Amino acid sequence: MGEQAKKKNIIDLFIEGCRKGWNTGISNMMPNVIMAFILIKALNVTGLLKLLGSVFAPVMALWGLPGEAVTVLVSAFMSMGGAIGAAAGLLGSNVLNAKDVTVLMPAIYLMGSMVQYLGRCLGTAEVNSKYYGIMVGIAILNALLAMWVMKILIVMF
Amino acid sequence: MDEKKPVQQDDGIRWYSYVALLFAIVFFSGVLSTSKEWYSVFDFTVLNGSFGKIAAATGKALTFRGAGGNGAQDGFAFALSLLPAVIFALGVVNVVEGLGGLKAAQKLLSPLLRPLLGIPGACGLGMIASYQSTDAGAGMIKAMYNEGIINDDEKTIFAMYQFSGDGTITNFFSSGAALFSILVTPIILPFGLIMIFKFFGANLMRLYLKYEHKKNGSKEAA
Repeated sequence: MGEQAKKKNIIDLFIEGCRKGWNTGISNMMPNVIMAFILIKALNVTGLLKLLGSVFAPVMALWGLPGEAVTVLVSAFMSMGGAIGAAAGLLGSNVLNAKDVTVLMPAIYLMGSMVQYLGRCLGTAEVNSKYYGIMVGIAILNALLAMWVMKILIVMF
Repeated sequence: MDEKKPVQQDDGIRWYSYVALLFAIVFFSGVLSTSKEWYSVFDFTVLNGSFGKIAAATGKALTFRGAGGNGAQDGFAFALSLLPAVIFALGVVNVVEGLGGLKAAQKLLSPLLRPLLGIPGACGLGMIASYQSTDAGAGMIKAMYNEGIINDDEKTIFAMYQFSGDGTITNFFSSGAALFSILVTPIILPFGLIMIFKFFGANLMRLYLKYEHKKNGSKEAA
């Protein structure tokens, strides 16, 4: 460190990055988190969260997670930020613990924002749409396998 | 093709690019977070610090977010509590990027792309771009295909690589930073796992394409 780049020094770069952080934080992360919290609240008020929890309990138990964790994965499919918010919301209401959230973390990204990225990634790259199905499948598989690996790795900490 | 001058002369990669890359890996790895020595200063979580505590009526010390909140209001308070980590993380990422750290990573990765993914080393740039921006990464796939640098299969494999966990660095270090302090493992672990599974998924796609061509009488994509 203490190295000067020609165009911008480290301080300029850092401040510029912080500004980016503020902008994405306020305009992307916060709306997503708020939406997720509203969703969790709505699911709570209607009793659907409990229902989801009991329906998906046997499935999520494969990863040692409570059934409600499925809401994080479903949110992830729509938006990574939303899933982080959902995980935080469930953490706040003690449905998930820190370990559960850690297990979910890689999955949130590996199967994250699929709905958006079908257009923004596969659409832009002009991938043959006959592969869309299998690609979404692989991304979900990635996520599910990563949760197992994470669960095993967690034991070391 | 190479000039007589050192090849690093024009690609923006300097010795400190590698230092920056190494620094970023250590900084976010959390390996120094539990150290009581002075060098714990080189750890994201240590420097990120913590909010002050407010004594609650229950006797429990809480952050400004309090306890028992819910709905949009709690979401707002929570998002607000995440902002410092997001601002800080992207600040560091920007420094690493500005010093050529990501380009250094690209240079280290390029020779590995053929064996690891079956795509040309030239895809390294698109790969690094996709870590920062989904749109930039996808745009580069299209451009490389149009220029004939990659064929149809390679395009599909590369797109699969990007698709799962796209915008990796930007997404993980912005929204993900929110949960950094909650994680029970070093930050780098889930991140590394995402990186590994991206390769895994792309290889599944590679196998699938092979299988498909076999089925269709080994008709190779032009």
